[in-house]
Amino acid sequence: MLTRRRFVGYSALSSSMLACTPLMRSTFGQTSSKQRPLRLAILGSTYRRGSNLQTIADRFLVGYPYQGDWHMPNVQVVSVYVDERIRRATAAPNEFQLAITGRARRPQAPKPAPPNGAKPTPDERWEPMAPSSEEQGLASDLSPARAQQFGFRLCHNIPEALRCGGDRIAVDAVLTVIEQCSDYPYPSNDRGQILLPRYDFFQQCAQVFEAEKRAVPYFNHKQLSFSFSEAQSMVKTSERLKFPLMAGSSMPVTWRLPDVDIPLGARVQEAVMVGVGGMDDTDFDALEAMQCMVERRKGGETGVKAVQLLEGDDVWEAGKAGRWSKDLLTSALSRSDTPLGLTLLDGRNQDLVGDGALPQLVKDPAAYCIEYTDGTKATLLMLNGAIRDFNISARLAGQDLISTQFFMPPAPNETYSACLAAKIDQMYQTRATPYPVQRTLLTTGLLEACLKSRHHLNQRLETPHLMESYQPPAESKHVRT
Amino acid sequence: MAPNGTPIKRPRLAAVVTSYKKYLHPQHVVDRFLDGYGWNGTYHHSEMDVVSLYVDQRGEGDLFQERAARHPGMKICTTIEEALTLGTGKLAVDGVVVVAEHGVYPLSENGIMMRPHYEFFEQITKVFRASGRSVPYFNDKELSWNWDWSKKMVDVSHELNFPLQGGSSLAVTWRVPSVEFPLGATAKEAVSVGYGGMGSYDFHGLETIQCMVERRKGGETGVEWLQTYRGDKFWKAHQDGVWSQALVKAALSRSATLRPGDPTFTDIFPTIEQMKAMVPDPVAYQYQHREGLLSTMILMNGMVRDFTFAATIDGQPKPFSTQMYLPMPDGRTTLASFFSPLVYNAEQMFLTGKAQYPIERTLLTSGLLIAAIDSDRKGQRLQTPNLAAVTYQPNPKSTYWRS
Repeated sequence: MLTRRRFVGYSALSSSMLACTPLMRSTFGQTSSKQRPLRLAILGSTYRRGSNLQTIADRFLVGYPYQGDWHMPNVQVVSVYVDERIRRATAAPNEFQLAITGRARRPQAPKPAPPNGAKPTPDERWEPMAPSSEEQGLASDLSPARAQQFGFRLCHNIPEALRCGGDRIAVDAVLTVIEQCSDYPYPSNDRGQILLPRYDFFQQCAQVFEAEKRAVPYFNHKQLSFSFSEAQSMVKTSERLKFPLMAGSSMPVTWRLPDVDIPLGARVQEAVMVGVGGMDDTDFDALEAMQCMVERRKGGETGVKAVQLLEGDDVWEAGKAGRWSKDLLTSALSRSDTPLGLTLLDGRNQDLVGDGALPQLVKDPAAYCIEYTDGTKATLLMLNGAIRDFNISARLAGQDLISTQFFMPPAPNETYSACLAAKIDQMYQTRATPYPVQRTLLTTGLLEACLKSRHHLNQRLETPHLMESYQPPAESKHVRT
Repeated sequence: MAPNGTPIKRPRLAAVVTSYKKYLHPQHVVDRFLDGYGWNGTYHHSEMDVVSLYVDQRGEGDLFQERAARHPGMKICTTIEEALTLGTGKLAVDGVVVVAEHGVYPLSENGIMMRPHYEFFEQITKVFRASGRSVPYFNDKELSWNWDWSKKMVDVSHELNFPLQGGSSLAVTWRVPSVEFPLGATAKEAVSVGYGGMGSYDFHGLETIQCMVERRKGGETGVEWLQTYRGDKFWKAHQDGVWSQALVKAALSRSATLRPGDPTFTDIFPTIEQMKAMVPDPVAYQYQHREGLLSTMILMNGMVRDFTFAATIDGQPKPFSTQMYLPMPDGRTTLASFFSPLVYNAEQMFLTGKAQYPIERTLLTSGLLIAAIDSDRKGQRLQTPNLAAVTYQPNPKSTYWRS
């Protein structure tokens, strides 16, 4: 388990050991042979069915649909670290607690099933070493079974995963998928941000990289951190240690309906994105999807000067005042396949904006208003109760609106994450990120600033720290073949 | 407005349907003419009016009264003739929308539901003939459960010289990826993999193949024979390579609803044993086009919930493949948006007086479905001289949803 205190201790120890060691060049390019698969370490929170870790990590074990074939990446998963396992072990009674209650810590032989209808007494159920029935079912931690089936090492800590039990880095790439787990939840702060240890995982890896003068490509699922300053530090570390750092969610790379993008260099006046879900959750995916389109405007990304998160009736008032465009909202919603309300009742089509139905359907609207330094504005409207999908429309100077749906195919397949896996694999194989991590860095900062605005009673906040500039990839990076 | 500044008269449409309830085809289609739909990045209202509606089967759950109350310009009629003449004694509309899917009708001796596409057509063309005038005619899905009647519908449309356009939304919906069969390409083999059962979704699978392969070199040449495979014979044929396993794999790699053969995984390619366990009643209709193309329409109900296509095309190193994406309101969505391109193409026919794609496509697929059910009943390959005579050229312009 990784706690702040433990991490700081670890950090202090390894930093002091490193203090006098000159930093050598990282050794990229040693595994360019196409025959030998890349050795991958996977680090995550929870390996249960339906978790982000399971859906993405499995793609490197059993392949994924890609370009009309079932693609097996040239990757061998050699080690896995699952934070939840360690947290569970730590949460279980320790040797001392077991001893004073008179319980042996060794596994107990299975007891005969109680007679039909007889409920086990609480005493009989108390078996800390045995998995619960829930854990033995589909909701259980799948990592031991996967380790057995695919022959990777299930590790007790992150350095062990990178070194595969040896004393040197023994992997060619790292995949991290850190998410909330219901049984052993990570804490939240007073802004509602879950304090997921993405930075901590990264730092542990970076320390190993630095100690061994060898750094390997690193993928971080979704935002870099709950904190922009930590995220900035991650990007700086990757630049200093010269390893490719890729991050983000699937939405920027999934299929689009229709298959369109903002033309590179277009003058984008305004964008409106509609989405659903919770705060510090799918809002990140939606903000990043919006960012991957808006960044293509003339001059590239030049940063954000202010944000404001509006809620309740203020959202509709802002629309009336022109803070966001009703035409763009109509256009974005025209791409939705999931209008609720009367459509659920009798199947009819609805012009949710023209009919005025939105305020009735959306009890708790939220608008994430983004003011870019170059005057472009963008708004993410979270419309729980009105729709269930993610759509965008943008107004370009002198052109028609451009609108599309970010197509998120349903569970269990969730094939959008296959689109992301293909990009991750490409990064591992080429050692170049398909799109700049600065996009995810900026989006990390946008979300943090928006949640801060909310915490400050929905005030508009200047964001001088978000003057991040970067150039987008010239070619569209969403999946289209 | 017309170029000379005079307002264009809005076409007046008669709708003739089987049953108007939630999520039945008539609701999806007629609602879009009445209430509009999202199209091309805005909320689109058709430039035409449904002025009359005939509903063949009424009952609990009917929605047409609610629709008529909100759209008082739409008159509820008790006969098809009235819907077309509006009591004037002669044809009084500029187009006809027929949706004869759904409703409950008796089964034919081959077990196909005898939906009244032809009966509606007869009554409608009777008004055309009596009025000495014909108008564009939209017919949802197949032509008829009976081949002779299907053929006659096409013949009469030529005789009376009116555009007849129909078929499945599979031919016009989104494709993921958004690709078109190259016009004039030579294809050796094509498959579609879909779901549902015989006599219903098989038609969608057939249209999935046909809207693509009709674009091959020379256009459609007709079908010589057809054979249906089910159960153990299906699996034996699959393993013997009667159809290409590589094409099936390519098609399945386009699916977004591939059921995991191992329940601890969420997206994993199934083994043949897992396929057998998941698909209790697999169906394949294999048929040979006259110039040599071999097509196979496969239903793997229980394993997938979408329609995918793959073909070997000369000069392409790997199979050409895509998914015909249906945003299905079975929990995945709330709107069956694949009806939007179907209705949009119908609107284009009503506005231009020209069919957007050939009715012969639907004649061929209607005939293939009838032959396939016959082949299943007889347990053998059937020669199909009637289908060998269905030759046609495609619309070189793509008509699927991509904007």
